[in-house]
Amino acid sequence: MSMRVALFATCLGDSFFADSVADAVRLLRHLGAEVHYPEGQTCCGQPAFNSGHMDEARRAAMHTVRTFDGADYVVLPSGSCAGMLRQMYPSLLGEPAAPLAERTFELAQFITQVLGVQDLGDGLQGRHIAYHHGCHALRELGIEDEPVSLLSRAGASVTDWEADQECCGFGGLFSVKIPEVSVAMADRKLDSLPEVDFITSADGGCLMQMSGRARRRKAAVRFRHLASVLWEATGRGSNPTAGAAL
Amino acid sequence: MSAREEILTRVRKALADREAHAHPGDFGSWQAEPSGSIVPAFMEAFTSTGGEVVRVADEAQAGAWLREFSADFSGTAIGDGVPMALRPPLAAAPPAAADLGVSMATSGVAETGSLVLGARDGRRTQLLPPTHVVFLHTSDTVATLKEALNAMKGTLPSAIGLHSGPSKSADIGQVLVRGVHGPGRVIAVLIGADQ
Amino acid sequence: MSDPRPADYATAAAATLRDTPEVRTAITAATRTFDAHRRAAYAQVAAEEWRTWMEGVKNHLLTHLADYLEQAEEQLTRNGVHVHWAGTGDEALAALGDVVDAHGVGGVVKAKSMLTEELGVNAFLEQRGVRVRETDLGEYIIQLLGEPPSHIVGPAIHRSLEDCQALFHRELGTSPDATPDELAGAARDALRSDFLSADLGISGGNFLVAESGTVALIENEGNIRLSTSVPPVHVAFVGIEKLLPRFEDLSGFLQLTSRAATGQAIGTYVSLIQGPRRADESDGPTEVHVILVDNGRSSLLADDTAWEALRCVRCGACLNVCPVYRQTGGHAYGWAYSGPIGAILAPGLLGLENAMPLPHASSLCGACEDVCPVRIPFTDILLHWRHQAVERGLASTTEGLAMRAFAGLTERPRLYGAAARALRHLPIEVGGSALPVLRNWTAERELPKPSVRRFAQLWKDGIA
Repeated sequence: MSMRVALFATCLGDSFFADSVADAVRLLRHLGAEVHYPEGQTCCGQPAFNSGHMDEARRAAMHTVRTFDGADYVVLPSGSCAGMLRQMYPSLLGEPAAPLAERTFELAQFITQVLGVQDLGDGLQGRHIAYHHGCHALRELGIEDEPVSLLSRAGASVTDWEADQECCGFGGLFSVKIPEVSVAMADRKLDSLPEVDFITSADGGCLMQMSGRARRRKAAVRFRHLASVLWEATGRGSNPTAGAAL
Repeated sequence: MSAREEILTRVRKALADREAHAHPGDFGSWQAEPSGSIVPAFMEAFTSTGGEVVRVADEAQAGAWLREFSADFSGTAIGDGVPMALRPPLAAAPPAAADLGVSMATSGVAETGSLVLGARDGRRTQLLPPTHVVFLHTSDTVATLKEALNAMKGTLPSAIGLHSGPSKSADIGQVLVRGVHGPGRVIAVLIGADQ
Repeated sequence: MSDPRPADYATAAAATLRDTPEVRTAITAATRTFDAHRRAAYAQVAAEEWRTWMEGVKNHLLTHLADYLEQAEEQLTRNGVHVHWAGTGDEALAALGDVVDAHGVGGVVKAKSMLTEELGVNAFLEQRGVRVRETDLGEYIIQLLGEPPSHIVGPAIHRSLEDCQALFHRELGTSPDATPDELAGAARDALRSDFLSADLGISGGNFLVAESGTVALIENEGNIRLSTSVPPVHVAFVGIEKLLPRFEDLSGFLQLTSRAATGQAIGTYVSLIQGPRRADESDGPTEVHVILVDNGRSSLLADDTAWEALRCVRCGACLNVCPVYRQTGGHAYGWAYSGPIGAILAPGLLGLENAMPLPHASSLCGACEDVCPVRIPFTDILLHWRHQAVERGLASTTEGLAMRAFAGLTERPRLYGAAARALRHLPIEVGGSALPVLRNWTAERELPKPSVRRFAQLWKDGIA
């Protein structure tokens, strides 16, 4: 009896990390899930919510609740969007959001907590990786050890990084409202980073922020979405540069 | 309406629809029960912040220790709370001029390493001289700050000071320095046996 | 504090980063050290239960505030303390002015107090020809520099050892390469005579115990004990939210506030002041005044979401962990309180229109919530203020229009998809220079490249 999973690609996933979202589909199927993609999906509403535009946020949220109505599980390749559905929708919409909130998971969280999978394979042997803990995944969803464990049990060495749990400075619209401080926060992440093959994270926004700054600084470090790295961990993923945030 | 009435009215109005919260009551334990007796716990806490400790058996020994210790100082200010037995003949000086101050603690708190000093003893003596000797009977030490506060509640002087080590600051380039305003050296002389 | 200027936050932050990058280095180092000490101190105790207890005590206090204020006044008066009530900052200063006039005060020694920064006490006194000497070493340093404090607990953390050496050489004649000990010694000597000759000592109040009328003050140097013991008159400014119900509540609050602020089991000196000197005491002030200050706190109390900010014990732990604060230090925030607590207090105490954009000076990372000893829900309150700003028309019209258009797209999947497809054809270079929003990104970062095909398209084409 395979598990039915509704995939929520998210705005950034859909437009900027499409290959990684595809890798998430491959990974979930490989682990035995039946993946559905409700085509009416749009945006979780977080940009409006975080800027205080609650009416607009509510509209996007209600649409999302309707779109995913009846799903057994909703899985997102994004800590911040998953956090929005799990933690914020109940306070935004009340009761109507409760069923969706309970069944929503970020990808790594779903793999470890719902599928009960701790070992994906050994496809990351010899890789030196830095893991960026996105704030929503870490503090809203309480996800701390799961992604790191999946990576290291697949053979990667996940490096000690003094700033790994510090905010990268994206914060959605914060990145363009208070840009100089946002950039200084990205610099803090990059300046404290040891030598690694690449940085990975569960959040596209964080990856865009740090890679955008790194490329402007002509830093060589690469960035890959966690979904692609976890797919590679199974040993089935064939393209080691897949999911590179450009 | 006076400012008092206006403020109280505004506060009451602000709270008119607010659910009232009950006081959560006493908090059980702050940390793991200190192992061993109170006096060693006090000593460890007090010395960990840079304070010094001397043990003597009784007041006679305490007085003798002070006479010897103060020989290197030019002038001593003595708190009013220090009993005569603990005041051997010493060269006296007013607190603002003395290089040694001597006080009597009313109690000591083990969990925070604090000497409890009352205003009756004289605050200037407790603060102005750069070296401060404080006598404390071991029978006056308690395990927790809560116990110490409850014990003093009924007989509060105009001011109490909890002194938990030498004066310090890290405001200059984040480097720790001692004796910025209060004494840079504080010595607790514990009189009596372990409790 | 002269006119608060939170409105300048974004430009002030940019200027700090551009013109004085050493501030970011100094503040980052200092706050990381403070936070490391706090973390170690929390780990030694049952921190989670303790925080919950402190939250509970403050919630009880605040929801019974009028009764506790009356009890505090009764106890203070019984102890011989003069109690003043100040609804506004002006009333608080006027009460101080009365004491100054009544005693012909010429010189004041001041203990560090954020409330007196908020009220602008120093400027008020100086305008009346009263000499004011800050006695906390960090406050003394910034007073000599003519700067406001950069941090709640360490006012001068934005300044390096070299800065202090140069400053003291100029002001006190110490040698240009004096050690920290020598500098501290010079400050001690200079301030000693101020303590002994001052007519008035001014302090704040960490806590005011309603049950006993006790003003509690925490410090490490001894300057607060001296400022409140030596001069003949002592005035304490206490915000109405700083009360505690019971004398024994002090045990928990003194200890966890110290752990949260500096990682210490307790501050080196704690003063528990009941009133003026008694007949059997050889020193102490003969007159003690407590000025209870509202200055916007009661209006903050009325806000069903933001009132929780009033639990604050001013430990600075939120500043020490805030990734936004540590890039610039406190000056960019433009008023007495900076970092996360500054961002959530400002709309309540200054009015939302005067506090903008501080509720947006946050990436909502939530690190502050993890450490606050009284569990203030920073994220909820920041979102609340952002929402209030939109409701009250303080958000930009362009943003409002964009959000409405955006909401329309999110409800119409086909339009949303069309917009997403169009996005990849947007001439980014032109867009980058034309749209201010994009310019704010591209000034210092490369834009992300859209995926060759959207995921929706990949799904349609089939994922192997």
